[in-house]
Amino acid sequence: MLVAAKIGSDEAVADAVRRCATGDKSALRVIYDREAPGMIGVAMRILHRRDLAEEAVHDAFMRIWQHARTFDPARGGARTWIYSILRHRALNILRGEARTDLVDDFEPLDMASDEESPEAIVSRLSDAKSLKRCLDLLEPVRRNAIVLAYVNGLTHGEIAGKLGVPLGTAKAWIRRSLLALRECLA
Amino acid sequence: MNAETTPDMLAAEYVLGLLEGEDAAKAERLLSVDDEFRAHVEYWRERMSALDETAPRLDADTALWRKIETGLAAPGAAFAPRVAEQSPSRWAALWENLGFWRGAGLAASAASLVLAVGLGLSLRAQSEKPVMIAVLLTDANRPAAVVNVLANGDAELLPLDAISVPPGRALQVWTLWDRARGPVSVGLSRSPQRIPLDLGRLPKTSVDQLFEISLEPESGSPTGRPTGPVLMKGTASTPL
Repeated sequence: MLVAAKIGSDEAVADAVRRCATGDKSALRVIYDREAPGMIGVAMRILHRRDLAEEAVHDAFMRIWQHARTFDPARGGARTWIYSILRHRALNILRGEARTDLVDDFEPLDMASDEESPEAIVSRLSDAKSLKRCLDLLEPVRRNAIVLAYVNGLTHGEIAGKLGVPLGTAKAWIRRSLLALRECLA
Repeated sequence: MNAETTPDMLAAEYVLGLLEGEDAAKAERLLSVDDEFRAHVEYWRERMSALDETAPRLDADTALWRKIETGLAAPGAAFAPRVAEQSPSRWAALWENLGFWRGAGLAASAASLVLAVGLGLSLRAQSEKPVMIAVLLTDANRPAAVVNVLANGDAELLPLDAISVPPGRALQVWTLWDRARGPVSVGLSRSPQRIPLDLGRLPKTSVDQLFEISLEPESGSPTGRPTGPVLMKGTASTPL
């Protein structure tokens, strides 16, 4: 059921993106109503600040509008396209000048209290997704490294700090985990 | 990362957001020119996007929507359909892609590039030949401004096209000399005329350094980074 609903929503979003390309602003509103809450959620996990998360979502909608015609459904889902635009913008904001005051909020060894743990996030992945099955095959600490990078936008160095391992070790873990994931997902 | 990094691993680390500096620039460049690399990126995006669905859905209020609507009304925001008529469908979101803009610089017809550079030069006294020039292109690949950097470090931006600036807004010029640091503001102007640029506090302008103009509030971006639509951008080259 969940999967069916998801496919339905992806098609509705793809249709709205197509209509944006013709200059139909009401289609952008359709995307906003459907996706903005999830987009703010994704941006908050990276930026931790509501104003910055909204800035990322705002900018993402500008890009969606401006580049709707470049969306090609043959290459991937509409929601994947939208979220990759959002993530790119959020990561740029994170890596920009606001970064210093953002990392101040991080407790070096422990998760900030309002932050969901990587374990909890993986447990909420849909069972229908091969990603969940494949992440579950990784050693927990390596799985966490992947999730911290994607979900929270942490750098290699921050992941190393959070997991208490040297930078080189963290890089190697991530690289090997990605190779294992690739093999499992294939 | 290192010499034996495969395109697939580079793509995976790009999608995870782990690439920095040169690696990130390389990935963005490849994304615009290399179909195989783009396919790897799309593969990882599709797979990893399952994690986006675990994010909490947070209230998106109408104030944010109104800001988006205001943004759509700004000049530069409405060019999507126009671009679309002339550009082939391409999944990669071109805007996000520094490599694209470099490619676009090469792809822009030699004639228009020569015209733009020639115009830039003709506005300068012969003795002040720029040591670096950046031709800024609009989203539709049209040369719209030239940045001239002189040997003594003085720099200016000369619009080639009329740019309409709505009341209460200003043009802000940015340069990206260090991806880790992010764009740095080098000029702000309410009138779309020659804008003197302040590059004095930055390292010497280098080849491929990015310049761009975004539309910002009158007093400049409140965050110190571009917040409004990017109207044009381009990278610096050395004139012959």
